[in-house]
Amino acid sequence: MNEFMLKFIRLKNIIFISVMLFILSAALSGCGKGDGAGDGRPEYVYVPEYVEMDMECDYISCLASSGDDVFLSVSKWDEETGFTTNYLYRYNMNENKATRLSLELPENSDVSGMAPGADGSLIMIVNNNTFEMDEEGNVKDSKSIMEIWKVSMEDGSLLGSEDITELVAGKSDYAYVQHFCVDGQGNLYLSDGDNCIHIIDKEYKKVCDIDTGDWINNMAVSKEGDVYITSYGSEGLQLKKVDLAGKKIGDSVAGAPSGYGTQSYYTGVSSSLLHSSAGGVSRVDTASGTVETLFDWLDVDINSDYVNYVGELSDGRIWAITRNYEISGSATNELVFFTRKPSSEVPAKEEILYGTMWIGSDVKRNIINFNKTNQTYRIKVKEYGNDDYQAGLTQLNADMTTGNCPDIIGLDGLDYNQYANKGIFEDLYPYMEKHGMDRQDFLENVLEAYEVDGKLYGIVPCFQISTCMAKTSLVGERSGWTLTEMLDFVEGREAENIFDYGSRSSIFYYCIYNNIDEFINWETGECSFDGEGFIRTLEFAAQFPEEYDYNSVQEEGTSSKLRSEKILLMQGSISSVQQLQMMRGVFGEEISFVGYPNSERQGNLVQPTGGSMALSAKSKHKEGAWEFMQSFLSEEYQDSLISEHGGWGFPVRKESLEKQFEQDMKEEYYEDEDGNKTRQPKTTWGWDDFEMEIYAATPEEIEAVRELIASANKTGGNVDEQLTNIITEEAEPFFKGQKTAADVAQIIQNRIQIYVNENR
Amino acid sequence: MHFYMKRKERKKKTGSSPRTRRGKLVSAGYLLPSAVGVLLFFVLPFMIVIYYSVVDNPISGQFVFLDNFIMVFNNSAFRQAAVNTLTFSAVAVPLAVVLSLFLAMMLESKIPFKSQFRTFFLSPMMVPIASVVLIWQVLFHYNGMMNEVMGFFGADKVDWLNSSYAQVVIVVLFLWKNLGYNMILFMAALSSIPKDIIEVAVLESAKPNQIFMHIKLRYMSSTILFVTIMSLINSFKVFREIYLLKGEYPYPTMYMLQHFMNNTFGRLDYQKMSAAAIMMAVVMVIIIGILFLTENYFGKDVEG
Repeated sequence: MNEFMLKFIRLKNIIFISVMLFILSAALSGCGKGDGAGDGRPEYVYVPEYVEMDMECDYISCLASSGDDVFLSVSKWDEETGFTTNYLYRYNMNENKATRLSLELPENSDVSGMAPGADGSLIMIVNNNTFEMDEEGNVKDSKSIMEIWKVSMEDGSLLGSEDITELVAGKSDYAYVQHFCVDGQGNLYLSDGDNCIHIIDKEYKKVCDIDTGDWINNMAVSKEGDVYITSYGSEGLQLKKVDLAGKKIGDSVAGAPSGYGTQSYYTGVSSSLLHSSAGGVSRVDTASGTVETLFDWLDVDINSDYVNYVGELSDGRIWAITRNYEISGSATNELVFFTRKPSSEVPAKEEILYGTMWIGSDVKRNIINFNKTNQTYRIKVKEYGNDDYQAGLTQLNADMTTGNCPDIIGLDGLDYNQYANKGIFEDLYPYMEKHGMDRQDFLENVLEAYEVDGKLYGIVPCFQISTCMAKTSLVGERSGWTLTEMLDFVEGREAENIFDYGSRSSIFYYCIYNNIDEFINWETGECSFDGEGFIRTLEFAAQFPEEYDYNSVQEEGTSSKLRSEKILLMQGSISSVQQLQMMRGVFGEEISFVGYPNSERQGNLVQPTGGSMALSAKSKHKEGAWEFMQSFLSEEYQDSLISEHGGWGFPVRKESLEKQFEQDMKEEYYEDEDGNKTRQPKTTWGWDDFEMEIYAATPEEIEAVRELIASANKTGGNVDEQLTNIITEEAEPFFKGQKTAADVAQIIQNRIQIYVNENR
Repeated sequence: MHFYMKRKERKKKTGSSPRTRRGKLVSAGYLLPSAVGVLLFFVLPFMIVIYYSVVDNPISGQFVFLDNFIMVFNNSAFRQAAVNTLTFSAVAVPLAVVLSLFLAMMLESKIPFKSQFRTFFLSPMMVPIASVVLIWQVLFHYNGMMNEVMGFFGADKVDWLNSSYAQVVIVVLFLWKNLGYNMILFMAALSSIPKDIIEVAVLESAKPNQIFMHIKLRYMSSTILFVTIMSLINSFKVFREIYLLKGEYPYPTMYMLQHFMNNTFGRLDYQKMSAAAIMMAVVMVIIIGILFLTENYFGKDVEG
């Protein structure tokens, strides 16, 4: 081999090694880096701009966009006249200017569809309802006529109308349109709320009816003028083109967004369609099946639950009209523009990750409010339980223990005790003290429910009490009982069932699973599943069916059965004073909240109703995370939980709870014909076939709720699935008559003893 | 001086040869991926396990030295798992070695249906573990075939999987699963024993048991060691079958060390799990060390 050859081989080796090293370094350097601006953010972001809509409007019933103009059919309640008036507005998005058009709708009319026509007019579907009244003023008969109105986009003048009632109603006597579109040729597409599309040409002559085969979820016209529908297939929502020439529905568009949940399509400007889902907004090109994700709703501080309409302007901005609901129930319309900007132009905020299995509406609302107002921090949400719940839980566990722990952890659906014991959560009492929050301002027993060894690991803004109720005349005045007392009570009576719909599993949940610490002494490590209480529970449960047959005919309602003592107990949650009033009505007499059997006779449990969360001990933004968390405990937020007619839980702040009680005791009156002030019910509540009017609460009822709340200092629903599996599996031979209760209890005792020993 | 110069010259010649240096570099280059792999996937995880075992938890990472080891050692579930695992291994491993050796010897002799027997004993290796467990459940369930047969002879039902008989079932399952593989290894070892030595022993009027004890057993000592180590490792893997039969918390006599580790992992008790794993690894190293020493002692004169 000559020197040249040797040099060549050496060079070849060097080149090979260099290439390999380059590939390796490229692969390694690629890890964790995206196309972003270098600080972890994407290159471009959408920035929201909130605009107040200058319109007389309570409710937007219909909307159609034509270029940068949006036409809105709105309704407005007039306090003085007591009537609702409908208006038509043209809203110029570029100038943020609303112009009320001259069109007037007759009384008892409504707009069920609106779209720009091919000839530059606005096409509206108008329902005219006429009512025939009897002598007493009650509706005897009603008639509805459906018309197409052609309206000038300039001034709202009516250019023409056509009755299409027969065309749409066909053989039925009622015409209904759920979705309405006009294609590029001016043909009108009206979906009937089921699975039929009526197609009418621009001369209002019927072209055809197309049966879609599936329920039509949504209908939209693309930029190209084609009409698309969405319907649910085997893999979720599918986007399909309406084939007018073939008079059929085409195949689903490959690559279009699928999945489940709320999804809507709108006419695109720079792409065929604009897609909006609970996640965010994307552009869809129907020809290539490509989807360009624009933004997530939470990243632009929008609650996806409130999004009503979405559109795109010629300058590339996206707009959305939202209807924002407050906790009190009031709602306002808001217009939001989203402008695409380079990340470098948007001030960077420190990101706080909120990790949860699923996010509740209250937490979502607070995150959006926090992100809108806080200049330093921004909360980003990661929902682990979106697709595969178990896989999500595993991922959350892995993240929490390997340094990727979210800064704030939503505790809904998690066994917070397990994580608190692992040192994953931060003690929140020092934060409360540091920020001047006195723990005595809050219900100590509710805080205690989230304590471990005197440290607070979770906050609960509002809660309800999970309990079990019985007639006081039967169980006496008590706020708890032991398992033996409970079994003595139910076994001494000849009731049809212990609960309505009672089964073995419900008895297990009531006697054992919600009360597992009764059988396990974690301090000594001793179990008592082979004891008398457990064996008696097994024997008692054996009298009931494995699962209740919900298809069986119910001759009596729950209230009637409770009153006649055919059933003895009722499990439920008390989340308001009104609910207590109703439960007393259901039983027909005084009730005792005995809760779940417990040796300390403290079986009432705290259940969060507006989220619960913990702070990660490893968070790098503890102050920012706490700033968000403490907003849930603020006076302002806690007071916002006060509800006029019974809310979704009690506020944890004592003063706010007292304000709620004051509200509950406030009498409501009306003036009768003679001008006398007469007491009137605050609301009507019902259970099963029972219904009652709820009046202002008495001090005694308030006191009963206070006592009920004070009796709960534990949370429920945290029993390990391992234990329920062992009990269910091993108890089965007893229920089948193959083994005695004592035998299966001994096996359960042995297996659970291992579990307990291992966990100590 | 002359001698010194010469040596130095020679040393220089061998030490700085470009060919040798290049050879070393090439060797290192070829070894590098493998070394990186070993470091990444074996050494690093082991270091992490050691780290986890001496901190209070992976989140706060406070050094607690041997506290986790003491806590795990005092844990009654761990002790029970250790006793169960040791008992099981002490019974199952010798049985697996002796019975498979016996079977191999039997198949070496002139008996009919040898290949059918061989296939029969090897077949459990081909059955997926989930099916094995299903078969075992059908056999040893409270209403299973075994109790049906016993009932036919008037015996009372036995709750095989929820009583002290549970470990017997597991030993039988383990043997059924492992005998075939061990048997093949022994058959290979038996066939590699030099025939001339055995012929000489026969000519010297050696009895069959003398041939077995002094020739065959000695020549097979390394195979016996290998089979013992493999059986020992497999005896720790019996957790898989028990887990499929009875889940995370079986009847106490079936609760093995790997249950303890699996369950603590599931509950994120990494420090507990790591301490248990290190203790188990130490015991394994000691046992395997003893086995190596034994093999060295018995097999040194035939390996040389």
